[in-house]
Amino acid sequence: MALKAGILARKRSTWIAVSCLWLMASAPGWANEPAPERVQDLRYGWVLYNYHQGQAFDALTQLSVASVQGGIQGHGAHPALVEGGLLLSYGMTREAGELFTRLLGDDGKGSALSPEVRNQAWFYLGKVLYLEGDYQLAEANLNRVDGATLETSEPELYQEWLYLQARLAGQLASQPDPDAIGQFRDQLDPNAIWAHYLTYNAAMAELADGNGEAAIATLAELIRQMEAEAGDSPADNAEQQALVEKSRLSLARIYLANGRFDQAFRTLELLSAEGPFSDRALFEYAVAAAGQGEMDRALNAINVLSSRQLFSPWLQQVPYARGYLLEQMNRPAEALAAFQEAADRYARLEAELVTARTALNEDSLMARLEFQQDGDGKMTDAYGRLKVIPSDFGLSEILATESFQQALSELHDLYRMQAFLDDWQQQLASFELMLETRQLQRTARIKATRQALAEQEADQWAAEHQEYRQQITEALAREDYQFFMTAEQKELKTRLERVAESLAALPDDERTQRQRAQYRRMQAHFDWMIVDDYGVNRWAAQRQLRELDTAMAEFRSQRQTIETLMADDKQHQRLSDRLAARETELTSLRQELELALSEARGRLMAGVDQALLEQRKQMRSYRVASRHAQARLADRLYQLQSRQGAGDE
Amino acid sequence: MVKPLKSLIFALATGCAVLISGPALAQSGDNADDKSVAQSVESLKKQVIRLNRDLFILEEDLLFPASTQFAVFVSVDTGQFLKLDAVKLKVDGEVVASYLYTERQVQALERGGMQRLYVGNLKTGNHEVTAFVEGIGPDNRAYKQAATLDFEKGTGTAALEIRVQDRSSDYQPTVSIVAWD
Repeated sequence: MALKAGILARKRSTWIAVSCLWLMASAPGWANEPAPERVQDLRYGWVLYNYHQGQAFDALTQLSVASVQGGIQGHGAHPALVEGGLLLSYGMTREAGELFTRLLGDDGKGSALSPEVRNQAWFYLGKVLYLEGDYQLAEANLNRVDGATLETSEPELYQEWLYLQARLAGQLASQPDPDAIGQFRDQLDPNAIWAHYLTYNAAMAELADGNGEAAIATLAELIRQMEAEAGDSPADNAEQQALVEKSRLSLARIYLANGRFDQAFRTLELLSAEGPFSDRALFEYAVAAAGQGEMDRALNAINVLSSRQLFSPWLQQVPYARGYLLEQMNRPAEALAAFQEAADRYARLEAELVTARTALNEDSLMARLEFQQDGDGKMTDAYGRLKVIPSDFGLSEILATESFQQALSELHDLYRMQAFLDDWQQQLASFELMLETRQLQRTARIKATRQALAEQEADQWAAEHQEYRQQITEALAREDYQFFMTAEQKELKTRLERVAESLAALPDDERTQRQRAQYRRMQAHFDWMIVDDYGVNRWAAQRQLRELDTAMAEFRSQRQTIETLMADDKQHQRLSDRLAARETELTSLRQELELALSEARGRLMAGVDQALLEQRKQMRSYRVASRHAQARLADRLYQLQSRQGAGDE
Repeated sequence: MVKPLKSLIFALATGCAVLISGPALAQSGDNADDKSVAQSVESLKKQVIRLNRDLFILEEDLLFPASTQFAVFVSVDTGQFLKLDAVKLKVDGEVVASYLYTERQVQALERGGMQRLYVGNLKTGNHEVTAFVEGIGPDNRAYKQAATLDFEKGTGTAALEIRVQDRSSDYQPTVSIVAWD
């Protein structure tokens, strides 16, 4: 019963967790409805886009990318706080705890974040750990919350915090400490729903201790108080109304257990016919009515239940109870028919359960569960639990257990990870293909480049350059004026030589004598000019040599660069290495995942198999009891008919 | 007559309760196992996130090297005057991205998130980017607006933001394209 209240508490808290995780995300403004601030870092904006769509995995990946690429700038510690919230919603509670501890300090005061933000971080971490059943860690984190600050900033959370503390005081100690629980209870607002949950759980603890009278008094007082608070419009607070119904049902059961049928009957009559516990109440009502000897009322209640879909395992006793009531009302023929019907039903259900167990595998299990979906896939709550409802009665009870829910969520998470890794496996194969293609293209380009380089005849150019350099050096050493002549001067020299040859062939007359004298003057002028221009010519030649040296150096350098680029493939190699490393990592992770999947699947199947086995045993006991009753009634009817026949004769 | 009924129904009810509570009791016994399984699943999740990060970076290095990478983001400031419906992006006259938004995505944008609408490669030099934004504007009327930006792509990563803002002066939305450093 306390567990049920716990589940109620969890349902209630889910939407609060969602909204408050959002508050944590937008903490810079820190108000009840903070206006979003313009992001200073594109990556952070991207993280928030995923975060607000509940895509924790993508958001966490982006945060991780940011962390290896210089971090998120301009938002202080808030990205880390968002990461904590994301880790919580992605089911990474321990990572979230470590992050919050690092971020906020062991004493919860070691950061520049406001006390309100720190409080929320500790509170939600503590609460998630509490829901996971890790009470020690839950207490450690809840103790870090500054109660006074929380009371001022978040009065509702403060009430829940007190409630959780009180529950932990009862659950952690080998012997619950009434003083510690009382201390928290005294601080709770007596009208808050959390105070009522605490009172309800206290009544259940009293009952568990064998103190039924104390439990009755506690529950009666709780119901009185909640009804007084609800006033004329109880429907305004559905959660409190549900707790009232739950408390009444529990109270009636205690009365029934103590044989106080009248009080049980009166308590059950107050229960709503359409509430969440109406079927259960109707059944208890039938028991109470029968206890008071009001068989017609009991039968009416059982008939109402019979007309409904008998979905829950506990409702399977209704067909038998109907037969039994009819028998007790001395309507043996109807009772016989009812038992016949009940036995057939149990036989059918038993056969179904045997078939279900025999054919139990993951696919058949999933086929019996209806996962609630929206446009973005399967729906989960703020803690990553799947929203799922069973499609047959055999799974309704086990589905309500925390361990089954956890196993189902884990399986779901593992499958999502597997699908994700499968996608990456394909992606990596295409990357590999891309790198191979790039390598082939590169090889082809290198071949073409080598061909072009070969066509440049670089060696010949280098040899000519060397020869030219050597000639100039030697001419300089010789002070060879003629070597450095300009093209015009060289042409002039050739012409003078041709003139000299012509003069040598002419007869030695006066005219020739004049011409030779003129030639000598021209030759002398030419020689003087060559000597005079030597410095200029030499400098021009040396300048050209330097320019050639520079050009040749550049030519060699470019060739060297090309050669290096062709020989050195570091970038491609680095990418290939990274790809290979990721492929290895991916393969290893897939193996680990396969193992984890197998374990999770095994745990889930074992749990379901056990539940189906228990239900089959239950159906068999109902069937056997129905058959016995059938035999008994048939015998009785036969004897009656025999006696009537004998009387007639 | 009442007594047997009572005892039988209670026997059935008690049996039922015991049977039902079986798995619940077993659950508390398996708590340590559950915790260890949860821890190993958590450890796997951590490894998968890290691997996803490395693969994401590798993918970007392969497909969109920093020297040519060009990304366009979308942001919405409050969204009071425009309910975003679709965005189309043109780069140098060619449509490179168009996107229809779901309700959840719009809400994520209105809460400060930024969507990476497009990532691709662009040569250094001058380029023209045009964004067409469609949605439901003031007075519940269909709204369409375009914004253009001429920008010079350098040798590093280039990032632009299509910014949809509310303009309180005339109660109209505005669309602009902003370059990030």
